[in-house]
Amino acid sequence: MVCLEPLTIRLFVKRFPLINKMKEKILEFLSGLKEGQKIFGKNIATIINSILLSIVYFIGVGLTSIFAKLFKKRFLDLEMNTGTYWEDLNLSKEDITKYYRQF
Amino acid sequence: MYILGISCFYHDSSAALLKDGKIVAAAQEERFTRKKHDTSFPENAIKYCLESQKITIDEVDYIGFYEKPFLKFERFLYQHLQCFPKSYKIFLSSIPNWTNEKFRIIKIIKKKLKYKKDILFMQHHMAHAASFLISPFKEAVILTIDGVGEWTTTTYGFGKENDIKLLKEIKFPHSIGLLYSAITAYLGFSVNNSEYKVMGLSPYGDMNKKTNQYYEKLKKVIDIKDDGSYRLDMSYFIFHYANRMPSKKLCILLDGPVRQSESEVTQRHKDIAAALQLITEEAIIKILNYSYKLTNCKNLVISGGVGLNSVINGKILRNTSFKNIWIQPDPGDGGTSIGAAVFIYNTILGNKRIYELDNPYLGPEFSKEEIKKFLEENNIKYYEFKREKEIVRETAKLIYNNNVVGWFHGRMEWGPRALGARSILSNPCNPHMQEILNLKVKHREKFRPFAPVVCVDDASEYFDCDKPIPLPTDFMLMVYPIKKRYHKKIPAVTHVDGSGRLQTIRRGQNNIYYDLIKEFGKLSGIPILINTSFNIRGEPIVCTPYDAYKCMMGTGIDYLIMDKFLIKREDNPQDIWDSEESAKD
Repeated sequence: MVCLEPLTIRLFVKRFPLINKMKEKILEFLSGLKEGQKIFGKNIATIINSILLSIVYFIGVGLTSIFAKLFKKRFLDLEMNTGTYWEDLNLSKEDITKYYRQF
Repeated sequence: MYILGISCFYHDSSAALLKDGKIVAAAQEERFTRKKHDTSFPENAIKYCLESQKITIDEVDYIGFYEKPFLKFERFLYQHLQCFPKSYKIFLSSIPNWTNEKFRIIKIIKKKLKYKKDILFMQHHMAHAASFLISPFKEAVILTIDGVGEWTTTTYGFGKENDIKLLKEIKFPHSIGLLYSAITAYLGFSVNNSEYKVMGLSPYGDMNKKTNQYYEKLKKVIDIKDDGSYRLDMSYFIFHYANRMPSKKLCILLDGPVRQSESEVTQRHKDIAAALQLITEEAIIKILNYSYKLTNCKNLVISGGVGLNSVINGKILRNTSFKNIWIQPDPGDGGTSIGAAVFIYNTILGNKRIYELDNPYLGPEFSKEEIKKFLEENNIKYYEFKREKEIVRETAKLIYNNNVVGWFHGRMEWGPRALGARSILSNPCNPHMQEILNLKVKHREKFRPFAPVVCVDDASEYFDCDKPIPLPTDFMLMVYPIKKRYHKKIPAVTHVDGSGRLQTIRRGQNNIYYDLIKEFGKLSGIPILINTSFNIRGEPIVCTPYDAYKCMMGTGIDYLIMDKFLIKREDNPQDIWDSEESAKD
């Protein structure tokens, strides 16, 4: 940054060391402020994310889960049984268009 | 035609480049970022792959991604719907990863690589199964078995020429891989990292099913049918809704709380590890016997993280009707970048198979000039060998005189094992060598053995191997008994149960490495070396000359051989970097 300053300013700063010191302090303050803002921004983002995700979780996931359980819907098969646990997959080569999908 | 395979955002990110049907470059991202099991987008590995062929991303025709992210998200969502409200914490911590990375994979690839062509997504276990396409077999039974992909945790199927058909599956949360990880966590080791330590610990426990009380106890946790299908009793686990794996019920079943990571490993822990290994073996052997009955095919390909369990791998041909086995050097998630690339080329586009992966050296290499420049710029004192024969002769002498030698030669290995390109070599005949290596370099748990490397033509003399010696032995993926008469002659590589996780080396794969082992044999009478990975505990294997030098100077490695250069630790100023402090799990 210093290198980009015009030559006149650099000479001026050189002549007046007090100004040079003040400049350093200001730069230090500004970089500290920037760092602080970053941390503040991150913390705020975490808090807002947590609030929004909590709403999604308790309303979206929660209500769906409760209703599904009322209708005895199982999302994971956790039951033991006497037969085989193998399930049909039959996965083989498909048309190339299907591989463009992420699902 | 160039195809780039990518695996990332779960564990062990990697990239592989295929040129006209042959894998020409492949590497794991961790080697470049120096962060073990790095999950981030493999920018550095991709950069290396492209630079190695002197091409730009515009010349890549397809990119293959190793899983279908939206299918995985469906499973993630179902987990939360099933486990509400217990999964609240994990929901909060995981969603940002989905929104920042996994949902944006196309954008990330296009933006980071400035790539404009097609990206193809295949199911995770298909990317594993595609290992068949680089195997030596025209047809084979395929078993894929890992923690979890999208939904699937275990499949078996059949591969013939270019086609793969996965017939049956077992779905999340029922997973042998996750069971192994859960017990690994219970035993105080890190998940997705230290499963091999549990495997190494198991022979210290009671390997008798009748007398090991934890075998019967762990049988309550998993129901294994005669056809090898299985299901976990999820009341013993909490991994489907929490960041931890074992439940309180599992702790009660196993007579104590989760072991603290640095606390003493007791006989109880060893017996639990043994019981787990027995149960895992039982399940896999049953699956394999069942799939053999259905197909009557004598060739077997295994892929998925459980394929790294070399103790089981070494028992397969003896306990099933299979005659041949193939496992690629990186059967875990890292290996799916190769799988994704070959699946596109051979199966989706229907090109003929012309490549067989028999050489694991697919990573970066550094020329003599580059290494010399590095040494001179850093004022490192070195000696330059004139001929390859001299390197072999002098290195063999150093090892014979019980020095610990860092060996950095040629292209870096593909996969988690050091296979003689980035290895630490030492004398297996010295009964104190295990202690010396642990003290000087590795700082690892006492119960973990070191691995032997032997030329393939000598292997049957020292090891009770399958015949013919299976190819995965070249990738250090098979454990075999060491013949009794040699137990005392190579004590440093003989595990407590008399076994060794050997690497076999064929001339043509890595000539100088082969010659070095033979030369050592002339001096000691035993053509076997200790081969352990060139790293310290907690760090990835070294990649560059800088990494290798830094590792030597931060540890007690006595000599470093880099290409034609010999660097003696004592000749150079000690670095302030202290490996003892850096050593972590």
